[in-house]
Amino acid sequence: MNASTFIARLSVPLLGLGLVACGSDRTSASSTRPQIVVTYSVLGSVVKDVVGTEADVKVLMPNGANPHEWSPSAKDVESLLNADLVIDNGLGLEGNLQDPLNEAKSNGVRVFTVADHVTVRKVKAGEGADTNDPDQAPGADDPHLWMDPLTMKQWIGALVSAMKEVGIDSASSGARVESDLDTLNADVESIVGSIPAERRKLVTGHESMGYFAERYHFQLIGAIVPSITSQAEPSAGELAALTEKIRQAGVPAIFAEIGTPQATVGAIAGDTGTKVVELSTHNLPADGTYRSFVVNIATTIADALR
Amino acid sequence: MNWFIRPFLDNPFLQRSLLAGVLVAISCSIAGTFVVLRGLAFLGDALAHGVLPGVAGALLIGVPGILGAAVGAAVMITGVNLVTSRSRLSSDTAIGLLFVGMLGLGVMMVSRSDSFTGDIVGILFGEILGVSRSDLVQQAIAALVIAVIARVFARPLLLLSFDPEQADIAGWPARRFELLMLVMVTICVVMSFQTVGTLLVFGMLLAPAGCGALLARRVPAMMLWGAAIGSLSVYVGLLISYHFNLAAGASVVVVAVTIFFVIFVVQAIAQALNQRHVPVVVG
Repeated sequence: MNASTFIARLSVPLLGLGLVACGSDRTSASSTRPQIVVTYSVLGSVVKDVVGTEADVKVLMPNGANPHEWSPSAKDVESLLNADLVIDNGLGLEGNLQDPLNEAKSNGVRVFTVADHVTVRKVKAGEGADTNDPDQAPGADDPHLWMDPLTMKQWIGALVSAMKEVGIDSASSGARVESDLDTLNADVESIVGSIPAERRKLVTGHESMGYFAERYHFQLIGAIVPSITSQAEPSAGELAALTEKIRQAGVPAIFAEIGTPQATVGAIAGDTGTKVVELSTHNLPADGTYRSFVVNIATTIADALR
Repeated sequence: MNWFIRPFLDNPFLQRSLLAGVLVAISCSIAGTFVVLRGLAFLGDALAHGVLPGVAGALLIGVPGILGAAVGAAVMITGVNLVTSRSRLSSDTAIGLLFVGMLGLGVMMVSRSDSFTGDIVGILFGEILGVSRSDLVQQAIAALVIAVIARVFARPLLLLSFDPEQADIAGWPARRFELLMLVMVTICVVMSFQTVGTLLVFGMLLAPAGCGALLARRVPAMMLWGAAIGSLSVYVGLLISYHFNLAAGASVVVVAVTIFFVIFVVQAIAQALNQRHVPVVVG
């Protein structure tokens, strides 16, 4: 870390206060191009496809950061408050960004929440999430909506309208992105098509694959951290139950993600005779496109389970 | 009976957790007894947290966390020694400064790294449920090394614990053997943080050894009580984690601290009832 980011992080609260005080100045930004801020990198890659060169798109969370744990710098808060349009995921994904987001809203910044424009998946009974926690019990909302191309397609139209309100015409690129997502969906179907139905079973680091599983007919067996965030610590009881489920279901592989306790995954895999496979569910591949992101996930899963 | 044994029989990973926990309890009760008697608790705490930037740095550049932890502990001890010997400041000021400094540095390193493989929760709370066979070997070696140090240097360490001036007179410089105690604590922290985490290794260092100090008068007996109570805490903690779906590492330490206070309260009541004020002596 360099000194300037250190100082920036120290001064988050101060700067936040300062910007509230002079919030009305936000339209006098140096650049005349519309400023679009996206909270999360995977959403950002799709937004960039829709926007094209019509506006500057800034993604707050660095690619590879765990959204469940990441926290913003002072500069991040500043760009939120100065944005013409903010795009967030919603459903608690931006846990540490909620206060600055609320502040931006109350300052009159337009905030487009993706989850408001898609069919939100509910956590189902038997998915292994903590049933004592109202946010994760069966019936709770699953924030990992970027795991399914067709769910991602649902909000493109609304995004195009929101763009129009800030003076960006993205109708044609929006339509192109929608058809690309259809093609992507077909491609994923053919990639995972090679996995026999009885081997379509997913054990992941945390409960992140719900949308993918529902779209492509996979069964969610369980997760090392049985929670829709990766922040919880597993208990002996939950791990013992998961070990039993893995044995009974004959699961071929455990998919480890960002924030998955590595030693624990290794121990469970060793005890059950399964292999550990790294799955990039929260970070974009080198070319930064949503397409490669999804194809990469589908291919990894197909290779591991086939 | 099934309630008490079945979870361990059915799950190899829990057997390894239990065994690793017992080994941690043994190392910690030996090193912890000196920490308790010599009043080094604050430095022990600081060491346990001071290793954080070392671990984070090691994982970032891709070397084993244990190496980083050792470097972090060495920086911590050297820093404390430097400040106390070269200034008029007392050691707790030096310890406090380095403690927050190192902890802050660790959090900074973790917060800005992309795709950090062992996140801060993992370092602080460890992965007692993810113990591999090689971890067990490592843990056993650590316990052995600590036991050997304690045995070989038994006399100077004991003298230092009760009467540092006597130790000096007897030709065992207090400073040098205090450093040896710190080395034992460091080995304990460095080898145990993967299992119980940097935060909880400190609990295992203090609570069982504290029980030993309440229950016994002679140092070897204190260590035996400490090891027994530490092991019991590991077993009960894992059982609680299993049956009530609670975080494992935290359960173990909470059990250990609870046992300490139960013994403390029972002794206080017994002393109040017993006018002759005879402390409970066992062992």
